[in-house]
Amino acid sequence: MKCNQVAELLPDYLQGSLNPDQHRSVDAHLEQCADCSEEVAVWRKLSLLPVEQPSPMSRVRFEAMLQAYQAGRSNQPASNSHWRKLFSSWNVLGWLSSPLGAAAWSAALVASGVFVGFHSVNPPKPPSPSPELARVEAELASTKQLVVLSMLQQQSASARLEAVSFTTGDQQLNPQVLSALLHTLRYDPSVDVRLAALNALSRHSAQPQVRSNVVNALQEQQSPLMQVAVIDQLVEWHDREAKSHLEKLRQSPDLNPTVRQHADWAISKLN
Amino acid sequence: MLQVRDGAGEMLGVLFDRYQAPLFNFYSKLTGNRTLSEDLVQEVFLRILKYRQSYRPGTPFRAWIYQIARNARIDHFRKFPREATFEPEMLPPVLPTDSAQEQQEVELLQRALSQLPEDKREILLLCRFQELKYEEIAALLGCELNTVRTRIHRALQELRKSFHQLTKSTALKQANATAAENLPPRGGSYEV
Repeated sequence: MKCNQVAELLPDYLQGSLNPDQHRSVDAHLEQCADCSEEVAVWRKLSLLPVEQPSPMSRVRFEAMLQAYQAGRSNQPASNSHWRKLFSSWNVLGWLSSPLGAAAWSAALVASGVFVGFHSVNPPKPPSPSPELARVEAELASTKQLVVLSMLQQQSASARLEAVSFTTGDQQLNPQVLSALLHTLRYDPSVDVRLAALNALSRHSAQPQVRSNVVNALQEQQSPLMQVAVIDQLVEWHDREAKSHLEKLRQSPDLNPTVRQHADWAISKLN
Repeated sequence: MLQVRDGAGEMLGVLFDRYQAPLFNFYSKLTGNRTLSEDLVQEVFLRILKYRQSYRPGTPFRAWIYQIARNARIDHFRKFPREATFEPEMLPPVLPTDSAQEQQEVELLQRALSQLPEDKREILLLCRFQELKYEEIAALLGCELNTVRTRIHRALQELRKSFHQLTKSTALKQANATAAENLPPRGGSYEV
């Protein structure tokens, strides 16, 4: 293999996405070619570069920005447009260094201090319903939905677990979130995340697709832990239609004996 | 109006915790300027709030956030073109490592990276440090997947050459310094 051929494969080699034959060919070339092997070495050395941490003030500024933004959105329309204008032309660097910016940040920080202090002593009264507030709340709810949906796609299982747990307390689920949770229940590679999804869905049994997906999960899930959890859920719902599926499950030749025992118990409960 | 601090604010807080360090590192390695990097990270989160409707569920979220990050930087340098160069004096301090050799390598690598043209530095940062997949980078830069591969390879090639040169010249300087130390002065001059 020549350098120019290796050059085409090298990016995939570095990501470990070549097939074994191609990988071996590149390895063989690297043993003979100093330049190409040095490229790989430099790539690996890049991991030595230090990971820097932003200053703690970064978080404080973020909180103040969030508060200022939310405050601006819930203002009257006239002043709302003023906020919009301010934000749209907002250059963070220039604005912060101006006396107005400094004063505004100080005011926002003081206001947040007063807010926290006040609320820690007196719990807030329920907000009086106003169309403006409802609109802002709807917008914030859509942000929550966005975050949940995006976090469910994360590679890290703990992030997906966190996303599922955000939805656990929700009385109603947005259709997109519901369908993402159902997908997680059936196909997430981590059993912990699948279990959490089952738990989050448990209070939404009124939705027909929730029941049918949980029943289907009974046949699809290979993990005994998950099988037992699904069986428990079906018993909790008193889902009589699940009985035939449980019968089918206990016929499976490779079934874990504990799960079979549990299925027998569930069948007797559902009778 | 302060009553509006419910779950969604916390959600954005979670996003902030997750992405502020990677974004900060992306900017600081790209610009060499910590203060500017922190400002740009704030700008990214402000834009997430403002433009969250433009996110299409089902598309990679990371790619969307880096799209915003790139645009924020481009807009900033459009307004302040004089700052658009890498500030070599702003290179972060290298933490003491196990060996002096490793420390030196890190310093040279940082310098080599800072010498790359910005587009090459950016693509290396995206795939090596931000761990974006090539498909995500292609979507981000608006080019073909194969173009991404070619550009990554060219960037790496240039980084390797630059690093090689820096290593060689440093080794030469060190060799000269050692030779000068070891040889005693004769008649007021150093024998070479």
